[in-house]
Formats: sequence, structure tokens, C-alpha cells
Amino acid sequence: MALTTQKTSLTVALVGNPNTGKSTLFGALAGVHQHVGNYPGVTVEKKTGNMEHAGRSYELIDLPGLYSLAPRSRDEMVAVDVLLGRREDCPPVDLIVCIVDAGNLQRNFYLVSQVLELGIPTVVAVNMIDVAARRGISVDVQRLERQLGVPIVAVQANRRIGLPALKASISAAVDRQPHSAPSPFPEVFEDETSRLESLLAEHFVEAGRHQPLPRCLVRRLLLDMHGYLAETLLGIGKGQTVQNLEAARARLADRDCPVPAIETTARYEWAGTVLEGVVSESGREQTSGTDRIDRLLTHRVWGTLVFGLLMVVVFQSVFVGGESLMWPIDAGTEATGRWLEGHMAEGALRSLMVDGVIGGAGGVLSFLPQIMILFCFLAVLEDCGYMARAAYLMDRIMVRVGLSGKSFIPMLSAFACAIPGIMAARVIENERDRLTTILVAPLMTCSARLPVYALLIAAFIPERTYFGGMVNLQGLTMAGLYVLGIATAVVAALVLKRTVLRGEVSPFLMELPSYKLPSPRNVVYRVVQRGWLFLRCAGTLILGVSIIVWAALYYPHDAEVVEAEFQPQSQQLQRRLDALAVGDPRYAEVQQQRVELQRAIQGAYQRQSILGRAGRIIEPVVKPLGWDWRIGCAVIASFPAREIVVATMGVVYNLGEDIDVESPGDTGRLHAKLHAATWDGTDPPRKVFNIPVALSILVFFALCAQCAATLAVIRRETNSWRWPAFTFGYMTTLAYVGALVTYQVGMWIGGP
Amino acid sequence: MIDKAIPLSGLSVGQLAYVRRISGHPDHVHRLEEFGLRGGTRVQMFRRGSPCIIRMAGNKVCFRADDLLRILVEPETASS
Repeated sequence: MALTTQKTSLTVALVGNPNTGKSTLFGALAGVHQHVGNYPGVTVEKKTGNMEHAGRSYELIDLPGLYSLAPRSRDEMVAVDVLLGRREDCPPVDLIVCIVDAGNLQRNFYLVSQVLELGIPTVVAVNMIDVAARRGISVDVQRLERQLGVPIVAVQANRRIGLPALKASISAAVDRQPHSAPSPFPEVFEDETSRLESLLAEHFVEAGRHQPLPRCLVRRLLLDMHGYLAETLLGIGKGQTVQNLEAARARLADRDCPVPAIETTARYEWAGTVLEGVVSESGREQTSGTDRIDRLLTHRVWGTLVFGLLMVVVFQSVFVGGESLMWPIDAGTEATGRWLEGHMAEGALRSLMVDGVIGGAGGVLSFLPQIMILFCFLAVLEDCGYMARAAYLMDRIMVRVGLSGKSFIPMLSAFACAIPGIMAARVIENERDRLTTILVAPLMTCSARLPVYALLIAAFIPERTYFGGMVNLQGLTMAGLYVLGIATAVVAALVLKRTVLRGEVSPFLMELPSYKLPSPRNVVYRVVQRGWLFLRCAGTLILGVSIIVWAALYYPHDAEVVEAEFQPQSQQLQRRLDALAVGDPRYAEVQQQRVELQRAIQGAYQRQSILGRAGRIIEPVVKPLGWDWRIGCAVIASFPAREIVVATMGVVYNLGEDIDVESPGDTGRLHAKLHAATWDGTDPPRKVFNIPVALSILVFFALCAQCAATLAVIRRETNSWRWPAFTFGYMTTLAYVGALVTYQVGMWIGGP
Repeated sequence: MIDKAIPLSGLSVGQLAYVRRISGHPDHVHRLEEFGLRGGTRVQMFRRGSPCIIRMAGNKVCFRADDLLRILVEPETASS
């Protein structure tokens, strides 16, 4: 929240290669004072925190992991912009903490070299010295500090060793002048930089800009072939400068100094000098625990088998564990509903509270445990380093679809939620691959589909177990829906890569981090964060839509029009009831008739409500899928967000239907209501739901793009309305056809 | 020197080698270099195939070569 004009705290940015323990160090420094958000305009996660030391407060910014400051992907662009003080939402950086892996100093110092050029005070934190020592690598930190001329602190972020020294070093370095590093580049290159610098300065004066570009940026401009910096730094008069840049690069190539190769050559040479005599290796190559685990987990047969088993365990746990944790929430919402029903006067407000709020948003709440269990598994797998192995195993399959293993991680994240999945696709450098991944990621079974799946599966799929209780039919159905999503995504990707997004397969390079025990702190933090997001969503969007759905289903509540035709019948029943003694056997019968009449009246109210009319208009369209108009309504209402469907069904099947909810064998209230639902105007009443209908709804929800947030993120990530429109179109078509086939085939096999 | 160079995929499991040359699109090659995979880097084959897993500077890296990007390596003479 710090403003650039009145700085109350100093800003410290954490920079480093991926897998160097940067986030762990950030967590150790910031403690509980963390805040995770997004950089506005781009979907890059922004992590900030606060640290106090020696009477001063610091705002810490954890930047995405980088191999280089040459911006290619979105994360890198954001990181570079933050470091250069070019983001309005981030105060200028006062100090950089560059974290490096003791076991791989050479590569890490490539980034250090780029960071030192920025002219910002820098502290280098050498992490994982203990891990390196176990591999026989020792680092002479004092010598490194002498040769580099920048404060260096050895830390073990995971064990919180060296933190006081690091904090002291930060507060000392903040007041000092930045280190002025001699350029690692050859003279020829520096000459071209000077030439460009003066050209640009002239240009800037003409354009009326006062501040010339600092030299380090001119250098970056010359080195970055992707044009991102040219785009953002120059603005007006770009064309001429780009020509100048190209001419300068051509001259450099002629003089044996080709861009971009010169950057790696020069910087690694510099790193070699700085690291001279610092690292000593004992030379013994020993098999680490990670290697032993990898022998199994990356094995073609065993590794794949373990992967498959792991997925089964995850989904079984989500379902079984979620189910058993659901009932207290269910019981709580139900009790609240009953209490309100008993304590409020009958009317629109009571109906709103009981049917709209409690029945709607409250119904969604009970899926919180499942969502948290799934996120817990994902966080553990990611944190222990298994995800990269899964990506390796999946590359073989993904390459056949025309994608790489890198697309697998976004897709796996999409199992939790399509939005982080689509955002995770940022790491894919190939634009066509990235786009394909984004377009098929929403087909993965996200946690928002879980409520629908859980509700319908628990209500309609028989509870049978096989193999001595290890596998149950409900779990298998769930797994089947996941497979359906994956299979459809594969086919969709294949088709996309063969048609609209044709292009060559790009090279695939990915680091496999060492295994480590997942940090409970990270896992708990991520699970709580996700759970909170869900609750907030339930509290705002879902609650809002529940209320709108309730209103659309309640109004116009015209008693005269609706009840008039039932009036004579109602009065007749009342008279008969008055005439009978309470103990009379016919009394219960008449009572029952009255309940049925009541239900008919409520049905009439629903039918002439706004949503009811809309539902009946589309009924001919959804009837071939086996749906009545109420399901149609629920589906229409859930287009903004699919998890709403549970709330909507709660409202649609709840409203005033005072049916017997105590039927044995049913756990949830909504389950019972769904079981009791009948088609309008059928005599004897025909049940709406049977297995083919439930499956048809399930398939529809598996394939449909019912998530406004996902479409908005696709719009933002692709910078065009074309792709979200395309996604919505193809997924909705697939969903309809899939549901149609499911219902028709289901009815043909099983009958009604 | 050059004639001893073989494609990376020619290494057997556990064999150590030095990267001699990386050829391909300059941008892809540059990316590999920034990643630490460049001429002179010592690598060890961990799992062959496509993609393969190699070990370099203590880290494991998963890599799939293609027609456009080739890594030529020179096996260490005293390889076991």
C-alpha cells in the first residue's frame, strides 16, 4: 500500500532462479505478514510481505523465479518492470536480495551479473550450502565476497539459519551506494551502447522527455531481441530507433560480437572470474536420495503406474474424505434454515432467507472440504517436487498431441481451477502451445465441478464397492468424468494443433528439482488461501446469483392469478378435514391430498415465475437431454459460474416444496428433494431424475464452459475476445451433444 | 576434437560428457545457455529417450531435442 510519494518503508525485491528456495526465504523473512494478489492488468501473482529490523520497516516483494532478465514470458516482463521501477502499483525498489543456489553458482551468477548492472544496492544470499556440501561442493563465501565486491550472506532458508545476518546486511546495504560493476562486455559492444545511448538521448530531448535512459537499459535494449523493452521503453519514434537497433546488431555481428550470444559469453566469462577459487568439488559423484526415487518415479512403466495410482488415490480421497466432512456443514445449514423458518413470519423475506440464502449459497458451502482436500494434494505434490516428474512422464503423451510436458502442469492445475491453470500457461514460451493449452484447460475437471458431481453422484449412482471395499462405484463414476474431461481435451488439442494453431513442435527443457519434504507451512497457506477464495466467492458471486435466481423464481408472486384456480379444491379439502376427527384413518389421507395440492400450487407459482417462463421456453431444447424445465433453469442460471448450479437446484427444488425430507437412506436434504422431483403434468407423477438423466447432466457439466471468470482470464491472457468466444462456443456445443448422446444411449440401454 | 562429438542421445545411462556444440535457432540456443546448458557444460545421462533426463551441475534437467535443436557432446574419456 506504500505510495511512491510518501514512503514509509523501504522496498526490497527478492530475485533468483527458480528452485533456489526464494519463496521459502521470503516466507522466513516476512513471517505471517504476507499478502498475495495479482499485478493489475496481468495475471502474474504478486507476493508482498513486511519485515521489521532495527527500527525500520521493509516491504518485501517476491518476484517470479527467473533465469534471465531478458523478458520473454509474462512473469519475466513483470519482474523486469518491478526492478526498473516501471510499475505504478509498486514503489521503486531500494534494494535487491539476489538468492543463489550454492550448488549451481555458475548459472545463478548469470542472473547476478544482470542484476548488478541495474544500479540498485544488492545483497547476495547463498542458499542451500548444506545441500551442496552433501554433494561434495563447498563454497568459500568470504573469498566470493572479496571478488564480487557485494555483501554476501550464507543462509539456509528452510531451517531459518543466517536470517539475522541477512537482515543486518540488508539494513547496512540500503544506505550504501550501489556497487558499480565494470561491464562484462567487450569494448566493441560498449561502443555500440554509447552510440545508441547518445542517439536515444537526442531523440528524447526532441520528444520533450527529460530523463534519458540509464545505460543499463540501453544495453538491455540492444540485447533483447524480443522487442518487449523497445515496445515499453520507447513509445513514440519507435520505428526509427528499431532501425537503429537493427543496424547496431548487424554491425556487432560483423565484428564477431553477435547478439544475443554475446550476452551469455560475456556474462559467463565474468562469472568464471568472480567464482575463481570459490567453489571446490570433492569430485565424488554419489547417488542421492532423489536419484534413487527418480529411478522409480521416472521409469517408463513403474513411474507411469505410480502416477496412475496417485491420481486414483487423490480422487478417491477427495470424494470419500469430502463426503465424511460434509455432514457437519450440511447439518449446520439445515439447522439454520429450520430455525429461520420457525422464527420468521411467512412471506417474501423468509422465502429469500431460507430458500435463497441458506438453500442456495449454504448448499455450496458443504463442498468446501472437497475443494480443500484437492488443493491440499496439489500443493503437496507441487511442493515436494513431484509435479515436474509428472510433466516429464506426460511429455511423451503431450508431444503426440503437439504440445510439450510444460502444458501438463497448467492442465493439472486446471483440475483445481481453470484460472490458475490458464495463468500457469504463461511459462510456455511457444505462443501456439500456450494458446492451445489455454483453450483446452477449461475442459479439465475443476473444483467448481465437484459440487455438481458430488451431488448427483451421491444421489443417483448406487453405492457399490468392489475389491473388498477398495474401489467404489461412485468413485469410479467420478474418475470416469475426469477421464472424459482429459480425453476431450486431448482430442480438442489435437484438432486445434492440426487446424487453427498449426506449428512446429518446440523444444522442451525443464528443471527437475530435488525432492524435499513438503513444507506444512506452504501447504497450509495455499489450502487456506484457496479455501478463502472459494468462501469469498460463495459469499459474493454465488450468494448474489442465488438471490437473483430466487427472485426470478419467486416473482411475480401473483397470488390471485395462481391460486384462483386451486381455490375451490382447497376449500373443499379444508371442509373435509374440519369434519374428520384427528384419529380417523381418512384424516391422514386428506392431509396427504392437501400437501399434494400445496405442491401443485407451488409448482404453478414456479411455472409462471420469470425463470420458470424462461425455462419452459427452452424446455423443447433440453428435453432430448432428459431434462425438465427446472434443470434447464438451473443450467441457464449457472452459466456465470457452474458451482452455482447446486445453489440453483437448491432454490428450484426447494422453494415451498414441503415434501417429506426424512426418507431413510438419504444423507442430504437436497438429495431427497431431487429424488422426489417429478415431471409437471404427469399422472401418475413421473420422476425427473434417473441414472441416464443424472449422467446427462454430469456430462454436460464436464464439458461446458460455464465460468465467466475463466472466459475473462482467457480474454486477458490472449488479449482478444475471439478466443474466449471460441472457447465458449466449442465447449457448449460439445456439452450439448455429449449430454444428448449420454441420455439417449442411457435410455436405450437401461430404460427409464 | 569435433569428430569425437556425438549427439546427446547417443550417451548411455550414467555416461559423462562435455557439451561441445549446440546448434539450432539462435533464440533457442540462447535460452539453453541462459539455463546453464552451453559449450563446456559437464552433463551425465540419467534416463535416455525422448524426453531424456540429464544431470548438470548437480541438478536434473528434462530435455527433448528436435530437428531444429541439437546438442553435440564429447564423452569423457575415462567414462565408466
